[in-house]
Amino acid sequence: MAVPRSRILDLMRVQCRIFNTTFNPTNARLGNKVLRQRLRGPSIAAYYPRRVSTFKQLRQLYPGVEMYDNFEEDRLEHIQIAKSRGKGAPKKKKTAAESRKNQKKKR
Amino acid sequence: MSQFRAKKLDLSCFINSKIIRDHTKRKVFEQHEPERQALRYIIRNTSLPQRTRAQAQLQLAQMHCYTRSTQPKNRCIMGGKGRGVFADFRMARFQFRMNALAGRIPGVKKASW
Repeated sequence: MAVPRSRILDLMRVQCRIFNTTFNPTNARLGNKVLRQRLRGPSIAAYYPRRVSTFKQLRQLYPGVEMYDNFEEDRLEHIQIAKSRGKGAPKKKKTAAESRKNQKKKR
Repeated sequence: MSQFRAKKLDLSCFINSKIIRDHTKRKVFEQHEPERQALRYIIRNTSLPQRTRAQAQLQLAQMHCYTRSTQPKNRCIMGGKGRGVFADFRMARFQFRMNALAGRIPGVKKASW
């Protein structure tokens, strides 16, 4: 028994209404597959572990508490040793004239 | 590119310039993904006027390359390597082996039978 096309279209329309899909009897390309895709950005951006907080921020949160920053202390100690051996960084020049004088001497 | 790079470092894994670049690409892609998908929808939708679709095509092609999903590459979070990286563990093969043997990866055990 042949079913008329109009009946089938009606059925499709009801089906689309119930399942909340687009009624597209001519099978035109409407690009809905793009809208159906999930966004991949959040999972891609979460690949590398993010830095939660730093020692500086911890210290700012608890200003009264005394804390020991291992890396910072090590760095300062290293600088101290280098300075005492005369291998420290040169002093910052305060004025433009001072810095120019040094350049001429080197030549 | 430098205009996308974060002013402050927000990573806690191994860091080198390539990792920072890759991380920047990931964040830029996340930002621009809805825009890209909208343009893609306009391009694929044949019921829209041809002119609109062509304009959307141009606009999508002119977006910065960092906004593409094909730009980020999985890198090793322990050593920054770009090759031989297991996506599941985010580690290159040697780092994976060392960490697995040290028992730092849950559920991984050296095969023996």
